[in-house]
Amino acid sequence: MLRIRSLNVAYGGLHALTDVSLEVERGQFVAVVGPNGAGKTTLFKTISGVVTPVAGEIRYNEHDLLAVPPAERAQLGIAHVPEGRQVFASMTVMENLEMGAYARNGRARWRESLEMILALFPVLGERRTQLAGTLSGGEQQMLAIGRGLASAPELLMLDEPSMGLAPAVIDAIFERVHQIHKQHGLTILLVEQRVAEALESCDRGYVLETGRVVLEGAHDTLMSNSAVRRAYLGM
Amino acid sequence: MEELKWLVVDFFQAFAAGLLVGGTYGLMCVGLGIIFGVMRVVNFAHGDFMMLGMYAAYYLVTGFGVLAFLGPYAAPIVGAALAGPIVFVIGWLLHRYLIARVTGARVVSAEAEGHYSQIILTLGIALVLANGGLILFGSTPLSVQTPLSRESWEIGLIFLNQARTIGFLMAVAFAIGLYVFLTRSSLGKALRAAADNPIAAAYVGIDVDRAHRIAFGLGVGITAVAGGLIASSQSFQPYIGFDFVIVMYAGVVLGGMGSILGAFWGGLTIGLVQQMSTLVLPYQLQNTAIFVVFLLIIFFRPQGMFGRVWERT
Repeated sequence: MLRIRSLNVAYGGLHALTDVSLEVERGQFVAVVGPNGAGKTTLFKTISGVVTPVAGEIRYNEHDLLAVPPAERAQLGIAHVPEGRQVFASMTVMENLEMGAYARNGRARWRESLEMILALFPVLGERRTQLAGTLSGGEQQMLAIGRGLASAPELLMLDEPSMGLAPAVIDAIFERVHQIHKQHGLTILLVEQRVAEALESCDRGYVLETGRVVLEGAHDTLMSNSAVRRAYLGM
Repeated sequence: MEELKWLVVDFFQAFAAGLLVGGTYGLMCVGLGIIFGVMRVVNFAHGDFMMLGMYAAYYLVTGFGVLAFLGPYAAPIVGAALAGPIVFVIGWLLHRYLIARVTGARVVSAEAEGHYSQIILTLGIALVLANGGLILFGSTPLSVQTPLSRESWEIGLIFLNQARTIGFLMAVAFAIGLYVFLTRSSLGKALRAAADNPIAAAYVGIDVDRAHRIAFGLGVGITAVAGGLIASSQSFQPYIGFDFVIVMYAGVVLGGMGSILGAFWGGLTIGLVQQMSTLVLPYQLQNTAIFVVFLLIIFFRPQGMFGRVWERT
């Protein structure tokens, strides 16, 4: 579904990503893990078109994604839930969700997506008229994921959904992400610093360090890899 | 006793005048506010777009008399309303071919970069419009002729100039219309989303540059309507933009930069202060009064009356 080949991204001469290749099959849960500054967010921004790569190829289904203008990419069924939530703070919870459904697919399937979002995150329903900026961090993260789901996406990209949240809230969020994957069969690409939680549930994982993929493989391979266990899982 | 009565009458007369003038100021400020709110661009040429609105109304009604068939009462009102779409198109084109080169999603997200070129460009546009206006329209002060500006409604002992009253009602109607557009329609909400968080807006599929183009056209168009409304109660020449842009900035900052509704109240406040100050101060000090109040509010409430600090940190 998503196929990235030797992607290179540089900010003013500094390499953020070097020869990154990555693949996501339909229905899979793929996790990209690694420490701060490894280039995980840059990878997402490149897929969404906010950052332009120096070299490489991104194919999404039959599309050459790099040839598609950024605002059009959301129309292809890619939902990007950005790092730090980035909700529309001055708009209500409901308006945020409506904006998520701005793309064609989202509009057409607004009713069913809304029902699904409110079932996953009932708190959003309770707070539907509240301004998003007044929500707690966890609620904002739920809203950000809800906004992503409102576009009725094929691929849900989650950038660091655990950032700045309390452990109990993180558990709740990850639980929902599983549910989205298992019950609704959505393809998920997750970027996380919390390696243990991310790898636990993924089908495939990539370990990114200083802009390079240093390790990749299926869930079991990664979980049993001694380097991963030592460096990230504390075992 | 008689003296006190007239003091009260004077007070309410000034209050009414301030309210009527303030309504059109409010609409002007909303135009400027929407551009600042959505694009984060300080539009120095805003007063000159208002000037274009005044001339558009003038030529539609008096100059070419295209709207003469509507009669002397309706024509100025329709003329002012039509000034909106005309200036919208001018603003849209200017944004498309000029302003978009130094603004846009890239610049909004990196607040430090690019602002100098925006300031120089909008200042340049202001000069070109004002002086181009001088060549095209001449320097003779004009006004839109309407019998309404010489007639008043009497409410008790208060006189309400008919042209200004109708201008006020129109301004309020346009402001409400804009508010409904921004809060109810899908496009309006998309404009607000692009203003709130341009990057997240791009992620959900909003074309931020298009949103900016629409916001710019809408902003100058709305202000042009306000200009068209004022044109029937005040004479104008091509340089009038400079006088008004100060009032507009004060109004927008008063209301809270980025708050579109606040801009209307800011403009209304400016109108009230301006007219009420004539009760205690000489006429020439009207604008001084505006800035004293302006400084006081900025001193005690730097985010403006309606600005929210968390909107953008």
